[in-house]
This record gives sequence, structure tokens and C-alpha cells, in this order.
Amino acid sequence: MNITTRMRWFALGTLAAVAATQPLAAHKLREAGVTVEVAKSDLTVTPSVAWNRLNPRTGKDNETWTLDGEELNDVTFYGQVEEGKTLLLEVDKRNRPLPRFSDTMLLTDIPPMLETTYRIARDLRLFEITGMEPAELSGHKAIRFTYEFVGPDEVRRKGEADAAIVDGALYMMTYEAPQIFFFDQSLEKYRQLRDSMALG
Amino acid sequence: MRLLRFGKLGLALAAACAASAPLQADDFAVPPYEGAYQPQGEDERGLWMMADEDERLLRDSRLVITDEALNEYVRGVLCRTIGEDRCGSVRLYILRVPYFNASMAPNGTMRVYSGLLLRVRNEAELASVLGHEFAHFELRHTLWGFKRARTGSDLVAWTTLLGAMAASYGGATSSSGADIQTSVLGTIYRYKRDHERAADLLGFGYLANAGYRASAAADVWRGVMNESDRSAEIRGRRTNRYDSVAFFASHPTDLERADTLSYFANRVQGGEREGSDAYREAMAPWREEFLKDQLMLGDFGASDFLIERLAGEQWSPDLLYARAELYRGRGNPRDLVASADFYRDALKQDPDLANAYRGLGLALLRTGNRTAGSEAIKIYLDRVPNAEDAGMLRMMMEQ
Repeated sequence: MNITTRMRWFALGTLAAVAATQPLAAHKLREAGVTVEVAKSDLTVTPSVAWNRLNPRTGKDNETWTLDGEELNDVTFYGQVEEGKTLLLEVDKRNRPLPRFSDTMLLTDIPPMLETTYRIARDLRLFEITGMEPAELSGHKAIRFTYEFVGPDEVRRKGEADAAIVDGALYMMTYEAPQIFFFDQSLEKYRQLRDSMALG
Repeated sequence: MRLLRFGKLGLALAAACAASAPLQADDFAVPPYEGAYQPQGEDERGLWMMADEDERLLRDSRLVITDEALNEYVRGVLCRTIGEDRCGSVRLYILRVPYFNASMAPNGTMRVYSGLLLRVRNEAELASVLGHEFAHFELRHTLWGFKRARTGSDLVAWTTLLGAMAASYGGATSSSGADIQTSVLGTIYRYKRDHERAADLLGFGYLANAGYRASAAADVWRGVMNESDRSAEIRGRRTNRYDSVAFFASHPTDLERADTLSYFANRVQGGEREGSDAYREAMAPWREEFLKDQLMLGDFGASDFLIERLAGEQWSPDLLYARAELYRGRGNPRDLVASADFYRDALKQDPDLANAYRGLGLALLRTGNRTAGSEAIKIYLDRVPNAEDAGMLRMMMEQ
């Protein structure tokens, strides 16, 4: 087998490998007006515009949607996070374990839990909770909080989140986007998603 | 000539570490400053160029703390330690990063993390770390480390190539190449550890020369070890070993450093300057923020140790409050009880500490003590009616 033939087989093999892994890694379109279950839970939402669901997941009980691309305008749903579970996948469980949800937590304990999770898993240095107020999520008492953070890319991002504890499990939605342009541009679309949310 | 002199300094250190030739007071003499230095040769100019580019990015980083008073104070400690002439070659940047670290780039950029400022308790401890970092700069360690790493990687590349050629003729096995690679890497890392030891010695010279308490340098490393042990203990894993150095470790063990620095402290006059009050005063506007960053790392053992170390024998209201927040954050039933006690202790000392009423109320609510919890939150809301979480807290009182 000469070198050219060997290279052809190598190229074909690579293509086959890419084709085989493609469906697993694919993002998925979430069409406007179609009600879908999210985060492998009994949470449903009905988007008014098309969104993209990102793969892979960043946690066992979550899924992330975006309009323009990852980290440009992300909505993450956390569905039925139970006692002892983390919000995101562990990055260094031995030395820097993520905080775990406890069913005795008060609603005001959720923003600090998200902050510590982000500081560890996303390697954030600056994170500030800028406000919190009472809210309702699918008829349940909830907390709505806003925050700002700067990641390793030095981009300042803003976030808005709604969280409720129902039957000892945490349900939460977060919306995050760069402070410049993107946050305000898609905020209403996030709020529409949030308001369309139904539980159970 | 200049480097030759520092080479001798390094040799003196190596001898000291071997403890075969006792150090004399002269060994700690700080060499005369030879004025502004410009990079020599291709390698050094390249390293400086890269460091200049890094500094341009650093200058605009959102992590840089621009508070003039804090910057002036830390710079003042540095200048006192190394002398005004040397100090002129340093640009100091304080970064909002809650870990124990400081570093020095070859072009004179010094980075000081807020986590370091939170951990040291006085000027003498801060001076020991800043002096050590400046010593790396003065001894041109980045350049020598780079040269050694390049020579090493060249050797590994040649060995791999020659090994592959020999193997194709049936002459050598791949394991012999791997052995050489391992040995070369070991040399590089050992070389870095020797740099750390040389910087410890020169840094110690600055500290003693400036009249700071000489034993403060060892205190810093003992604190680091104890913090790491407490963190590991709470997380249920084995503590670090301090009696042997890992193959890939770029620094000597913390124990070796603490012991060596204690050994130095016993052999040099040093001074009595501690600077505890001045340090506390300078950090006062920032301590709450730095403590908050530390608590949000979710490392209960390290944070608890750190707060205790800062308190010493005198618990101030802000440290009691921080400890209460730490325990409430972990949230085990016993933690919530302890946390409520810490909030009450803080309020005894400072009845105006409104946030302590908030924390106390939330700790009590979480333990199911609704009446007392709501009362504490009501006091908080009376004191801070426009608090950003006022609406949320009112809802929780009504639940």
C-alpha cells in the first residue's frame, strides 16, 4: 500500500468517524409554537420564536438553549434537581466539589448556590448578585434574581434567573448574555419562555 | 558579572539547604542595585516582549483593583522592603482573585492576588512574599528557566529521533528514550525548585534588611499548610505530604520553605517591625469583599481556618459575621445553630451590624424557628428599608 492510498483510507476513516459521532453531538432546533419538555423533567415550555438546544448538557438535570450561539444568549433550564445533586457536572470533585442542593434550603439560598457553582465550574473571579424579588413560577412561589459576572474571556455578562422549590426539588431557569447588546436584545424572548413554563 | 554574583548567591543557598555550611549574616546582604536593566540577547528580549504584551492585556483587565489607597499602600510595603531604587522597576497590579498567590514577570510586572492580601496579617508577612517575588525578577529566573526547559526539550527531541532510528535498526528499545525523557523533565523541575530556594534567600535578605520581623516569612508558609490541611480534613480526604517533594513540583514543599525560613530567621538580625495595625487599617475597606469572595469558593475548611487565623485571640464583629455566613452557607442543622450564635455574638459587639440581623433571621427560618426568624428579619428591614432583597424577605416572613 503506497502512501497516497494509505492517506485516502485515513481520510475515509476520519470522515466515517465524524459522521458516526455527529448525531450525538448535534444541537437541536426548538420550533416556535411547539410545547416541549425540558431538562428531562416535567417542565414544559412553549417558545414564541425558534431556539437551538445545545449539546452536550452541562449537568445531569439541565439543558441549555440559545438564539445566536453559546454564551451569546443562553437560557438554561434546571429540572427537578433533588437533594444532594449539583447544578452542573463536577469539574474537580476531589479538590473543588460543587455545592449540592438541599431540600431544607430557603429560596434566598439559591442565588449563592449558583454563584459558588459558577465560581468553581466556570472559573469565575467576579460575580455579583444585583437584586432579588419575589416571583411566581408556574403558580409556585419563586425567587427572581439578577446578577453580573466576568469570565476568563473578560466579557461582562448579565443574568436573570427564576427559581422555585417544589416538593423538595429545585426548578430554575437562567438567562445570561453579554452586557453589551445581547442581554437587552433577547431579554423579552427569555421572559416569554419563562412565562410559558408549566410544571407537572 | 551581575549574574555571576547571583550565581554565587544561589550556590550559597544550595549550601545552606544542605545544612552542611552554616549561613553567615553576610550571606543575607542585599547586593547593590545596578540601575534600570534592559534585556540582553535574543531570548531575554523575546521574553520581555511577551511580558509587555501580557501587561497590556492585564492593564485593561476587569480583575485589576484600581483603588488608589490600596495600591499605594501595597506599593509602599514593597518599596520599603526592596528599597526605593529597585521599586522603580516594578509596576504593581492587585487582582481580585481569591487565591494565595503573587507573581513577577521578567519585564517588572508584579501581580498580587486579593487572596494573598486576605491571608497575610501584617506588613512583615506581606513583605516576605513581595520580596520573594521581586527576587525572582532580580535573579532573572524566568530567563534561566526558559533556557533550561528549551535545552531539555531539545535533548528530549533528539533522543526521541535517535531512539526511533536506532529502534528501526533493532538497536534500542523505546523505554530507554522514555527514561531519558523522564530524567530530563526531572532536571527541569528540580531546577525550578532551586530557583524558588534562591528567591527565598534573597527575599529573606530584603525582609531582614528592611527591619521587618524575620520570622514572619515562615509564618506565611505555616499558615498555607494549615489551611490546606483543614480544607482536606473537612472534605474527608488525606492531607498533603510535606516531607517529600513531588517529581513535577515547581516549588519546594511548604514545610521545607517554612523550616528553611525559620533557619534563616535564627541566623540574621532582622528587625522588630510588624506593621499589624497599619495593615489592618489599610485592608479595612476591602476585607468584607475579600472575605465574601473567599466564602463563595465553597471551601468550608479553608475559610474557617482563615477566619480563625485572622481573628487570633480577638474576634471582631466582621469576622464573627463572616464565620456566621460560612456556617449558614453550609447549612447542616448544627451549622445553623452555630451560625445563629455567631450572628448574636457579632451583634453584641456591634449592634449596628444590620446584615447580621438578616443572616440571623434566615438561619432561624431555615431551622423552622419562624417567629424569632421573622423578628430578626423585621429588624433588618426596619434598618435597611430599601435593601435590594427587601421584597423577597417580606415574602419569606409571610410564608
